[in-house]
Order: sequence, then C-alpha cells, then structure tokens
Amino acid sequence: MDKSSSQRLPPLKRNWWLKHRFFKLYMLREATVLPLVFFTLCLLAGMVALLQGAESWQGWVAFMGSPIVLLLNLVALAASLFHAATFFVLFPRVMPLRIAGHSLPDQVIVAGQWAGVVAVALLFFWLLGRV
Amino acid sequence: MSTEQITTKQINTKHISVKRYLPDSSAEPYWQAYDLPVDDSTSLLDALNHIKEELDSTLSYRWSCRMAICGSCGVMVNGIPKLGCKTFLRDYEGDIRIEPLAHFPVQRDLVVDMEIFLEHLAAVKPYLIDDNPVKAFDPNAPETYRQTPEQLERYKQFANCINCGLCYSACPQFGLNQEFLGPAALTLAHRYNLDSRDHGKKQRMAELNRHEGVWSCTFVGFCSKVCPKHVDPAAAVNQGKVEAAKHTLIALFKG
Amino acid sequence: MSISKHGAQHKQAFDEPLWWGLFSAGGVCFAVLLPAVILFIAVLLPLGLLPAEALSYERASALLFSVPGFLFIGAVVCLPLFHAAHRLRHGLFDISVGNDATNKKLMYGGAALLSLLALGLVLAGMLG
Repeated sequence: MDKSSSQRLPPLKRNWWLKHRFFKLYMLREATVLPLVFFTLCLLAGMVALLQGAESWQGWVAFMGSPIVLLLNLVALAASLFHAATFFVLFPRVMPLRIAGHSLPDQVIVAGQWAGVVAVALLFFWLLGRV
Repeated sequence: MSTEQITTKQINTKHISVKRYLPDSSAEPYWQAYDLPVDDSTSLLDALNHIKEELDSTLSYRWSCRMAICGSCGVMVNGIPKLGCKTFLRDYEGDIRIEPLAHFPVQRDLVVDMEIFLEHLAAVKPYLIDDNPVKAFDPNAPETYRQTPEQLERYKQFANCINCGLCYSACPQFGLNQEFLGPAALTLAHRYNLDSRDHGKKQRMAELNRHEGVWSCTFVGFCSKVCPKHVDPAAAVNQGKVEAAKHTLIALFKG
Repeated sequence: MSISKHGAQHKQAFDEPLWWGLFSAGGVCFAVLLPAVILFIAVLLPLGLLPAEALSYERASALLFSVPGFLFIGAVVCLPLFHAAHRLRHGLFDISVGNDATNKKLMYGGAALLSLLALGLVLAGMLG
C-alpha cells in the first residue's frame, strides 16, 4: 500500500494552544523552563564571581538581592514547584513500579517524590541554616 | 405501570449547532442550528438521530452500536472530542456546538476520512507475531497460547481501545504533524509488545523508535483525558519511550 | 513524494533516547532539588535570612570547589539545562518557530556548552 495515499491536513496554526484550558496549562508546564534557565544563568554568574574573589562574591549576592532578580527567582521557585506537581504524577505512568508482582499505587509514588523535595530542603537547612 | 410515571421525565428544549459540510451544494462549511426536545436520558447520538428522523434528513454522521463499543460516533462537542452515545445533553448548559473530529479531513457533515488513522495502525503491526505458530489440532503442540492472569494483566488496560480516533483529535502533535503515528497506534504497539504470546517486538520497535514514532510525543496528556475506555494512551506511548531507549542500547552494543 | 523523503521518515532516531534520558534526569533534578536550591541561594541568601557565615566567600568556595560541589553542579545546572533544552526545542515546534533540525542543534548544543562551562568553573576552583 502506498503510504502517502491518504489525505494529509496542513499543520495547526501556532495559536492552537490558546483554544483550550488544558492546552494552556500544558504550555505553562513547558514554559517553567524559562525561569529555570534564568536561575541557572544567575548561578553560573555566581560561580564566576566566587572564582574571582571575596569582593565580587559579595557583589553577586547584592545583585541577587536587587528587586527584579529577586522577583524573577521567586517566579523560578514557583515554576519549580509547579513543574514538580506536574512531573511527579507522570512518573508512575511512564515507569509503573512493581513490587512482588503488584504495582505500587500512584499516590504512594507521588508522595514519595514530594518527601524527596522536603528531604532536600531539610538537608539544605542542616547545611546552611545554622553555623 | 401508569402512564404518569413515563411523563414524569423532564422534557425541555435544547439548542444544538451542527457544523455542516455538503460539498455537492456548497464549498464552505456552515453552522446550522436545531432546537429539539430532550430529557435526562437523551444522548448526543439520540439527538442526532432525532434531527435526522424528524427535522432534517440531509444530516450525515456515523454511528452503530450506541453503547461505546463500536467507536464510530466520535464528534467534537464544544471543541472536545467525545463519543455521541456516551455524551448526555443534560450535562450541557447553553449552546452545544457539534463539529466533525478535529485533525481529520471532513468528507461530509460529521463524517471524517479516517484513512490516515488506519495507515498508522497498520504500520505498527497490531497483531500477534509468532515465530512458531501452533497448528490447529496438533497433538504435539507446545503450550504457546497459554497465558496466566498476571501475564494478561500486563497489557489488559491497553487492549481496551475501540479505535474511535478521539485521541487523534485530542493530540496537538498529530495536528502539527500528521506523519506522527499517534496515541492509538503507539498504544496498540505497546499492547502487543507486552503480550507474552508475541514475538514481534523487534519489528515494531523499528517503527516506534522513529522521530514520527514515540519521539514526537510531548506528553500533553489530553489523549488520555478524552479516551472513552480509560486506556491511558499517553502512559503507553511514554512507556514506549522507555522501551525504545532499551532497544537503542541493545542496538548499540549488539551492533 | 520522493523516495529519499520516504526513506528519511523510516530512519530510526537513535539520538532521541539520549536527549529524552537527559530530559528525564534533568526533570527529576528540577523537581526534587531546585525548589530548595532556589529558596536558599536565590531567596534566603540575598534577603539576609541565612546566618552570616552560612555562605560567606570562604564557606561557599569550600563547598563548591570540591567533589561534592562538582556533583552538585552536574545535578543542579547541567541536567536541568538539558531538560530545558528539550522542552524549548519541542515548544518551538509547538508554536511553529524555526525548523526542528536547527533548533535541536542550537538547544542541545547550548546546554552542552553551558554545562561544560559550569563543570570547568568548578574544576578551575578546585585546582586554583
């Protein structure tokens, strides 16, 4: 059979995702990487500053405290949590975990991943919250 | 049984707009409105049948079983793909807009051309491929076709697909690139790959591991939302990515 | 439809598992590690809500320019960069911007360069 025998429609217009709430949430999920990239670039700048010496490190900390940078990084924090909420529910669907022939309930896997987020935060608190 | 019991059903009038396309008389599609009596049990398919029988015999649409098993009455209801027989007008307020399934060429009114869907299904070889088939009534036959409940459980959910095509109308990646094999075909491929009686995985992986195979999926997930049989095609496609990754590693090391 | 196009469509995409693997690993890091990292480094630190010595120049240098620091940057910078590259590439396709072959090179190439830079900075700090 000729593979290209059937009719093909032209691609959707680029505003297709504005037509339904579900697709807008999908695009929001995909867009969480934009503030992530901003934070990553900040972090790279911080590493350069740390390499240059104490003075430029203090300069970088001050830069991170400027209102716009702080605001964008708060957006990045919110984006990371939204990403986590959307990403954790996908995990059991992509890799259903089986223990002794029984598949683990989805809620258990999702809760386990959130426990990971809390554990990492506690680790940071242990490392940086007290001196 | 008294007649009063039958008339206690609430009858009221609902407004339905149907996107008409009659290529013999007009090159452009147009909207046509119908007012019809409905009660709590009126499905969208009942409504279309009422229009066809009582109001307008020129309306074309597909249907057969009216119990969500034949998969032929799929249409867009207010922009969301639905089975006409499984959609009840009691759940809708205001104008109800009915269109043919999205992402398929329209032939007439609500009837779409599903040829491309069938091509994509055929491409993944959705049938048991057995290197050593058992001959019928062979007394020395191995127990090839025996399957434990656990083995059945692995693919059972993915075997519930009725080929209605709603997931293709829900999938923007199929709308953006019609060569994408799409949710149902990739799910069916995964269903056979998971079947203990099947030996065709290697052949199917060559199709799945293409850009137009599993790798065009971005896990939008709307296919699983609209699936009338709760097959979760998005899960199957993404499990297919894990399998395609394993297939690639094997290909790299075995050459 | 030419034969070559038909052939190209049937070519297996042996590179995609790599990009998807990096995307998935980066997605896990973005979800599990980044909330705490952003909270402590980009919010609490500049607001002065951490103890003064917590990330002083000396302590930050000691923490970052070490083997654990190297692994930390891999998990917090490199993998999330590949996650972002993958989503940006598919996002550009979703809104019909550019062509996928070019976008692929730009996005994954950019992620690779920035990753090398990040790991290089840690190594420079460890040696210097």
